Amino acid sequence: MNTVGSKFNEIDLLLFKSGDEKTFEVIFDANYEAIVGFCTQFIPDVDASKSIAQQAFINLWLNRYKVERVSGIRAFLYTAAKTGCLNYLRHEKYKMHYEKKATAEKENRLNQEILQSFQFNRLEYIELEEMIQAAIEKLPEKCRVVFIKSRFEGKKNKEIAEELGIAVKSVESNITRALKILREELKDVLPLVLFLL
Amino acid sequence: MDNNSILKYLQGKASETEKAKFFMWLEESPSNKEEFLAIKKIWALSAKHKNTDGITWSDLKPVVQLKNKSRLFVKRILKQAAIFILLIGFGALAQYIISTNVTNQLTYAASYSVEAPLGQMTNVELPDGSMVMLNSGTTLSYSGNFSNGQREVYIEGEAFFDVEKDRKHPFIVRSKLVDVKVYGTSFNINAYPDEKIFNATLVEGSVSVLNKDGKEMAMLEPGENAYYDEHQLNVIVTKVNTEMYISWKEGLVTYRNEKLGDLAKQIERWYNVEIIIQKEGLGDERYFGTILKNKPIDQILEVFKLTTSLQYEIVPRANEPTLIYWK
Repeated sequence: MNTVGSKFNEIDLLLFKSGDEKTFEVIFDANYEAIVGFCTQFIPDVDASKSIAQQAFINLWLNRYKVERVSGIRAFLYTAAKTGCLNYLRHEKYKMHYEKKATAEKENRLNQEILQSFQFNRLEYIELEEMIQAAIEKLPEKCRVVFIKSRFEGKKNKEIAEELGIAVKSVESNITRALKILREELKDVLPLVLFLL
Repeated sequence: MDNNSILKYLQGKASETEKAKFFMWLEESPSNKEEFLAIKKIWALSAKHKNTDGITWSDLKPVVQLKNKSRLFVKRILKQAAIFILLIGFGALAQYIISTNVTNQLTYAASYSVEAPLGQMTNVELPDGSMVMLNSGTTLSYSGNFSNGQREVYIEGEAFFDVEKDRKHPFIVRSKLVDVKVYGTSFNINAYPDEKIFNATLVEGSVSVLNKDGKEMAMLEPGENAYYDEHQLNVIVTKVNTEMYISWKEGLVTYRNEKLGDLAKQIERWYNVEIIIQKEGLGDERYFGTILKNKPIDQILEVFKLTTSLQYEIVPRANEPTLIYWK
């Protein structure tokens, strides 16, 4: 996982704020995949997700003078992505069979609820990625390898199974185990930041 | 519900029946929902979508340009012979009724938007080469299809357009109240009901103002201004000194018989301050004159003090816009 926070110092922040293109390219490359990835978790339409993510970077560029801290960059991007996704979901129209439609609408509402519960502005004080990173480090070896391949390398369960020479079922159980542990690990740190409803 | 079913749902592999089952489980108890919310958050924050298109910042960057200098922009206009210049203003009040909902409706699908923050002006070069200068507190949005010949922008606020000539592809400016369409030499204007005032001033070229049904309401010639508000049936066209309407580009603003109350709203926007009018009747007092809005705010207030009955007090505040009392 790329962490802008750890590589980025105060001087980089000043360069960024003064409109230095090179610095902004670094920020873009380090965060683009994560922001698109975030959007695709709520919006299945990949093109729409990309568009929302790209808009988030454009907004960041235009509002760079507002960013006060290094961590504010990610907070800004995620907040912009959150807003973009919510706007999209609010206007999503369903043209499908009744039963399918009912589920799709439930899904839409659930996704809106989850998005709304993110409080990224609080990230100014705590580096979210570092926390998740630290929690991942603590996972049991196999669990961690599977989780990283699945989440950060975007590999399919089947691909991971072949790569590691294990059963698909085992890949699945390792991911769920990782999620369970992460949830437990982050429970004490995250409530204020992320689970504030 | 077993963990594998949750994972299946998260990975988008659940069938319709499994999805229905999942939602039943979710609605069963608040703790189920809480558990899922926590998992989904970790899931979403750890997601990455491979950048297989190889998109880089330079692919996005060229459409956005933030500059405080208006020199270049003006030079460019003077160099081009075949351009159309249109100024649209929505009046001081209307600019403030920027409803995010409306923007959202029009911009959520694959679109870009550029905002001139309070106190700043922004130049935008659109993919077709058209230039737009946004006044303070203005948002301009356009679709990702813009470069495919669908030349359409949506605006809230005030902007100065310098549209690139292209007979095949009409250039459309949408707003809450009106649409403006340019086919080489003409515009088409449309009105939205909840916007208070629409103002278009033509500097060069030729423009038609059309109502929502597409009926022509007026045709503008250079030097003419079209005024429209929701309470009237027709557009009022008058010969104007265009300088007065476009002077904001150069940082000059000319007022003729303007209420101080309306002026206060504009100043709040330009300087990102909050003005409170304490003296009764002061807001209705009229002002005539030209001000240079690039000057520090206290200089502008001094001018008002000399020419009106206004007295003022500036109260700086931390983390909040500076407060100014007019008394």
